[in-house]
Amino acid sequence: MKMDMDMDVNIKKNYPSYVRGREIKAEDIEEGRVSYNLHKPNIIYSFTAGQAISKFLNGLKEGKLLATECYSCNRTLFPPRIFCEVCFRPIDKWCEVKDSGVVETFSISYIDPDAKPLEKPIIVAVISIDGASPKMGIMHILGEVEPEDVYIGMRVRAVWKPESEREGSITDIMYWKPAEGD
Amino acid sequence: MNVERIKGLKFHKKQDVAIVGAGITTFKRRLNETGKELSYYAAKQALDEAGLSIKDVDMVVMGSAPDAFDGVHMKGEYLLDGSGGSDKPYMRVFVGGGTGVFAPIAGYWHVASGLADVCLVVCEEKMSSCYPHPQSAFKYIWDPILERPLKPNLIWIFALEMRRYMYVNNIKHEDIALVSVKNKANALDHPSAQLAARITVEDVLNSEPMALPVRRLDVSPPSDGASAIMMVASHIARQLTDEPVWVNGVGWALDTTWWTNRDLYFPRYVAEAARMAYKMAHITNPRKEVDVAEPYDPFDYKELHHMEGLGLAKKGEAHILTREGITARDGDLPICPSGGLLGVGNPIAATMGVKVAEIYWQLAYRAGKRQVAKEVTTGIAQAWGDLMQIGTVMVLSNKR
Amino acid sequence: MTFNEKIVNVRELKHVEGKIELYWIYTSGEAGDKFFKALKDEGKFLASKCSYCGKTYFPPRIYCEYDFSETEFIEISGEGRVRAFAVATLDSYEKPLENPEIYAIIDLDDTDGCIVHLLGEVEIKEVFIGMRVKPVLKPKEDREGRITDILYFKPS
Ligand SMILES: [Zn+2]
Repeated sequence: MKMDMDMDVNIKKNYPSYVRGREIKAEDIEEGRVSYNLHKPNIIYSFTAGQAISKFLNGLKEGKLLATECYSCNRTLFPPRIFCEVCFRPIDKWCEVKDSGVVETFSISYIDPDAKPLEKPIIVAVISIDGASPKMGIMHILGEVEPEDVYIGMRVRAVWKPESEREGSITDIMYWKPAEGD
Repeated sequence: MNVERIKGLKFHKKQDVAIVGAGITTFKRRLNETGKELSYYAAKQALDEAGLSIKDVDMVVMGSAPDAFDGVHMKGEYLLDGSGGSDKPYMRVFVGGGTGVFAPIAGYWHVASGLADVCLVVCEEKMSSCYPHPQSAFKYIWDPILERPLKPNLIWIFALEMRRYMYVNNIKHEDIALVSVKNKANALDHPSAQLAARITVEDVLNSEPMALPVRRLDVSPPSDGASAIMMVASHIARQLTDEPVWVNGVGWALDTTWWTNRDLYFPRYVAEAARMAYKMAHITNPRKEVDVAEPYDPFDYKELHHMEGLGLAKKGEAHILTREGITARDGDLPICPSGGLLGVGNPIAATMGVKVAEIYWQLAYRAGKRQVAKEVTTGIAQAWGDLMQIGTVMVLSNKR
Repeated sequence: MTFNEKIVNVRELKHVEGKIELYWIYTSGEAGDKFFKALKDEGKFLASKCSYCGKTYFPPRIYCEYDFSETEFIEISGEGRVRAFAVATLDSYEKPLENPEIYAIIDLDDTDGCIVHLLGEVEIKEVFIGMRVKPVLKPKEDREGRITDILYFKPS
């Protein structure tokens, strides 16, 4: 009880004592009730993939997943890089890893990148790759499976585009499908 | 070259640093004011509370997240006049969502090093400028080659992290939803609040699915807003107030950008940042020594995740504290008494106003209706951001 | 070693094109809203005067940048004097302009502020620093509350 009384003495004015800012609605802009300026710039970038990822993308075209190995920490790095960020030294070797793996975590997405609803939800997962060091994974899409059947620890395998349609892009793998018993 | 290895971090400061005032605008989905005007409102309020004028300010730090929201490149320079930086040493800092605590950490360097005696820290965000949706700006944080072709939404990474956290610790969505219920109710007492409400766990579990397990009421909204704090050296603080709030520790750390190469169930980045801040503040048992905390809560599971990173709960046990009411405003360890990002809003960098500023008001006993029931000496504010990789931590205390 | 396996054929190095599909709607803010509404509805020019130091801002602001005091709105004529000018012969994509445009910084009368805008109804060789100019507005029905409601400034 004593503490409560002390508290009353201690509590001073409610801060912040006022807050400013005039809220407006989307309609205020649409109907021109507040003045504004609209700008739609046309900005295009060309992202170079660099040494490691170029080789990785070329590997995808051939239906292979390429990784790199660091002899210092003995990790097999996937996606591959030309330096080990832990040992901070150049990479020793290229190697091939399997096009199968394990679902580490997943989500069922109902929205597109602009937060608009998707017609059909998609399943996205982090998949750790067989043959790479533990927890070395990538983010990709799951297919040929219902959302309620996906679980953490599920084994999955890559489903590739036909070779003629591959273009050296991460989407050369269309999705990953359950691989129980493979 | 052989160099003597420096073991651990050294904290030699020139002078102690106190917070003596704070300001915050209202947080809303859309505000008419420009970013400059919002910065002015917040900065002016912080100056007024401290009893200082802009002419007393030596240096200004601006915190603001990607330029893509406001749609102004060189946003730091654009915001200069509204944040009181004209004709002064001024810098902008940015570490994604971690900025709300990183900007005051930068303010701390200015004063602790002796470069400045009075430093104004202003944080601003005007996310409503960005179309078709503020989330669209997040399309461009992904790796352009490996991830962007999959058409990801930002929510994905949080959904993936939340699922992993729930799986490893065997936590149910019901347990996590309690955080949203608590914070949105706490926000009823915050004059800036955008999404204050009395909701139930069922409301959260039945809300619209975004990227499961994440549903609409698990998430904080995009917001416009600004906030500011006044950081001063001890000899200035003494002249202004009998009850300054001291910055006793700061810490920050980043985990690898290869986020699909690490286990997401535990926020190592927060644990490392906290370790640094606790060492500086001589805190050895955070659960016992910290009286009130504002961990970053853009998602409900994040509050729990961060409590564990901060050592306020054992791994996988933060939800038990929530369920037992320990993290309520009248509990033994009040968490997010402001209402947090879930209740007050999430104008990214400007969340400094519900993190660092709130802990300041709590420790100065000025939080009014939001004042926690228990006696408070030490509090922590924490933020998090980038590709789920940075933790920023500040330890505040009303005792030096 | 990786360095022995370096890609040397540039055709094997990949790149990915990306377009930034964002656009922005900028509100003009509290001061800007007053300013543009007065311009659009009444063809009037507003500035704002600091209640503490007397500095007069154009375009108007709700605060004084230097002493952080609030300001009051005042009406001004919109006329002014050319402080500096430049002649643009290329557009923003560096294509030649058929008719070169004259851009000027114009100091507005009775203010400490200025505006960057086009000059019109004047030959390039006739423009000089210190030249007095006045604004030419779009007809009221075409005005939208934007800076382009001012077509240009012409000699007065
Ligand atoms: Zn003034």
